[in-house]
Amino acid sequence: MTAAFTARASAALTDPTLKTAIERTTGNARAKRAAAVAAWPGFEAARDLGRDIKDHVTQNLAFYLATFERNAIASGAHVHWARTADEACEIVVRLCREAGAHSVTRAKSMLGEEIGLPHALEAAGITRVETDLAEHIVQLAGDRPSHIVWPALHKTREQVREMFARLHHEPGGLDTVEAMVASARRELRQKFMQADVGISGANFLIADTGAVCTVTNEGNAELTTTPPRLHIVTAGIEKLVPSTAHAMSLLRLLVRSATGAELTQYTTFHCGPKRANDPDGPSEFHIVLVDNGRTRMLTQGLEDMLRCLRCGACLNHCVVYRQIGGHAYGGTYPGPMGAVLTPVLDGLKTAQDLPRACTLNGLCAEVCPVKIPLPTLIKGWRDKSWRLGLEPRAATLALRLWRLAAQHPPLYRLGTRLALPLLRRFARTGWARTLPLAGGWTAARDFPAPARKTFLDQLKERRK
Amino acid sequence: MTARDEIFAALPRAASANPHADAAALLARVPALRPARVGPDPVASFLARLTGPVIAATAERLATRAEIPAAVRSYLAANQLAPRLALQPSAALQTLDWSGIAALPTIAVDEPVSVCEADYAVAETASLVFRSGPHMPTLFAFLPLHHIVVLEAAKILPWLEDAAALEATRPAPRNLNFVTGASGTTDIEGTLVRGAHGPAHLHVLLIGGQIAALAPQPANVP
Amino acid sequence: MSTPIPPPPRVALFATCLVDALRPAIGFSALELLEQAGCVVEVPPTQTCCGQPALNSGDQAGARALAERNIELLEGFDAIIIPSGSCAGTLRAHYPELFPPTSPWHARAQALAAKTYELLSYLHDIRHWRPENLALPASYTYHDSCSGLRELGVKTQPRALLAGIAGLTLTEMAEAETCCGFGGTFCVKYPALSTAIVSEKTANIAATGADLLLGGDLGCLMNMAGRLHRQGHRVRAYHAAELLAGRGAAPAIGEPE
Repeated sequence: MTAAFTARASAALTDPTLKTAIERTTGNARAKRAAAVAAWPGFEAARDLGRDIKDHVTQNLAFYLATFERNAIASGAHVHWARTADEACEIVVRLCREAGAHSVTRAKSMLGEEIGLPHALEAAGITRVETDLAEHIVQLAGDRPSHIVWPALHKTREQVREMFARLHHEPGGLDTVEAMVASARRELRQKFMQADVGISGANFLIADTGAVCTVTNEGNAELTTTPPRLHIVTAGIEKLVPSTAHAMSLLRLLVRSATGAELTQYTTFHCGPKRANDPDGPSEFHIVLVDNGRTRMLTQGLEDMLRCLRCGACLNHCVVYRQIGGHAYGGTYPGPMGAVLTPVLDGLKTAQDLPRACTLNGLCAEVCPVKIPLPTLIKGWRDKSWRLGLEPRAATLALRLWRLAAQHPPLYRLGTRLALPLLRRFARTGWARTLPLAGGWTAARDFPAPARKTFLDQLKERRK
Repeated sequence: MTARDEIFAALPRAASANPHADAAALLARVPALRPARVGPDPVASFLARLTGPVIAATAERLATRAEIPAAVRSYLAANQLAPRLALQPSAALQTLDWSGIAALPTIAVDEPVSVCEADYAVAETASLVFRSGPHMPTLFAFLPLHHIVVLEAAKILPWLEDAAALEATRPAPRNLNFVTGASGTTDIEGTLVRGAHGPAHLHVLLIGGQIAALAPQPANVP
Repeated sequence: MSTPIPPPPRVALFATCLVDALRPAIGFSALELLEQAGCVVEVPPTQTCCGQPALNSGDQAGARALAERNIELLEGFDAIIIPSGSCAGTLRAHYPELFPPTSPWHARAQALAAKTYELLSYLHDIRHWRPENLALPASYTYHDSCSGLRELGVKTQPRALLAGIAGLTLTEMAEAETCCGFGGTFCVKYPALSTAIVSEKTANIAATGADLLLGGDLGCLMNMAGRLHRQGHRVRAYHAAELLAGRGAAPAIGEPE
């Protein structure tokens, strides 16, 4: 347990509004997803198919990357490759500079967050305009996203109202959420049209056409990627699918799992730059394909995680996420999928709490649309953490003692025989309010008095 | 080594001897597991889903294309909108009789209304499909507050895979947009608000087909 | 024509370390129920723990050592019955994962897994046992512990069995399938988080107004009951097996003997 994680979690747990804010959005998402799944008898078979499509891509990644690159170039796109987050940011910043860009619009992309693109653009002195409403809220607040689908779910409407009133140019009345959305619409309208560069992510890269698929509900992706002179896509190399038809199967799973809808309002396949007689569209289209740990995951037993569609269902259903929200996790990706990915990106030492702060209840795997065995992968990190000696000292020592006893029944029996009367002394009324070495438990719970004698001892007496 | 070389060097050799065949085999599983969303009449399924509680768009049926301007006039009047709009620069729409309406071939950033024709639609999800091109600027589908969409009933495909198959037969446009309802956001406390950045209202003029089916459709097609 | 009656199965009751040390009543209930269900029950006296704490803490070697020990101890029985979904899940779902597929231990672990059962589902699904002549005028709510629910499919069986107790009525809580925040070592390593989670659970339990909280895992029950008691709620907690064995009048978890 690192002090940093404990402090972040504790701040989240004592935040007076966070829990309510998280529950409003994730509760809504859980209910809508459940209804969508109940209405689809083929959902289980579709999950199997989704898993198999993504596995097929992972197992033939070199083939599909080469195919995608060839077709994207044929469509007029420029394809760039980045091994690391820094390399990816350098490419994007260089492209912006070469285009003489003063202002860029961005449509929400988790990969962009992962590689630290917002920071890199700012450091390069380029004005960054986040166009997804939630990212706009996060940007105004000088904050970080706390959910991969609803980055601003930690903000209440009151907090948004206060911020918009202070920072928007024509806030107007902000009495309702509708009015707040309208204010953001006015605020961003001209910025869409004035940007020199539009940056988006990718939900899918279509190998056989070289197209990039994005899904949004607000329409901001198309307004981000159409007016500027340049459109830059940053995408992880695992986002490939063989064809548009394969993307359709995954879209059915992704959207239902994320929001409970059948399809997002806007599902767009971006292919190449503006054609010769097109009235709108960017004259240059760049795709930056980013590794940033993904090829390493193939050798770390984490290839299952490359299936992840970033739907957020595992976050919405996670008892830990529901209590502390996304910021406490400390990385780009929170919740169960974050507990698997963040150690890859930030190192296990830094992110050691994430796989540990999990009850292994298995609900995340049950709701995952591509059947990622999240608890198994989380346990894989715990195994590594144990081998590297990152587990807390006291817990390791206790576990070793217990294991020694468990392998030697007479010692084990002796241990319990000594412990029981001791425990009973603290629980004279039936419940102990305090216990030595168990302050974590008794801080909030009473501990029931154990029996006078163990089950095995009592059984031996009875059978004499 | 370049970044590209290094990434490829880190990848295992392809597992499939014939990835195309394996990828096609995966798709063979789709028809058996698709959500039962399309009834025997794709037009009825499309309309039911489009105007149902989730997508909540509006629609009306017209017998012929000649009726389009009058229907648009009524829509503008019913919504107390000025008689001006951005009209998709396609011959099929521009040659209709728009008298009494300022129908512009370009679109302003705060244009209240645009009229576009969808290339086709998908019944499964009630998606309208637009292909960008010389006669279809992408922004016509994203800038207005009211998006009026003309759709030929004969161009409604049953499934998303049918759209993919159709697209595979022609050159890809810069933007292939599947539009499924008006723009919306749930970013503030999960509350759905229409008209986030794109249109707040989506109105479909469905041309031809069995007009008898004009009666209200059930929200869910079994 | 009469079918020959199959010989009674010789089953091992693996009590679990928590039941052994903290609530023997569950062990005795399991023993009696299995006998009622026609089993010849043995309680191997050198049993200790299934190894789950090691497994979940990343101590693979420790978990493997205990798995080997338990395989040797238990593989000679017709079935291994455990009054806990999470411990049964450890034997059934995780022992085989501890050994490489080529290792002889892997095959032995698989063979053991195939005949390891959680108590309530074994009684209901395999032995087709049903309670007789039991009555308890009370209302209860049931917590579906995660491992039993998701690794072993234990959901309807306890409710079906409890429905055979006259006068006992079920009031489902909201989110009965949501984790209670116990998580084994999780509750010790992250007590504040665990407390927040269990507090939501106890609010859902209290909202039912039920007299009793029942479940199939002592760890989860202690977590919820301990929190309920600290909060001053009067809900009484039992393992479902205790009621099915007719021990509904005995002290609940944490009540003085």
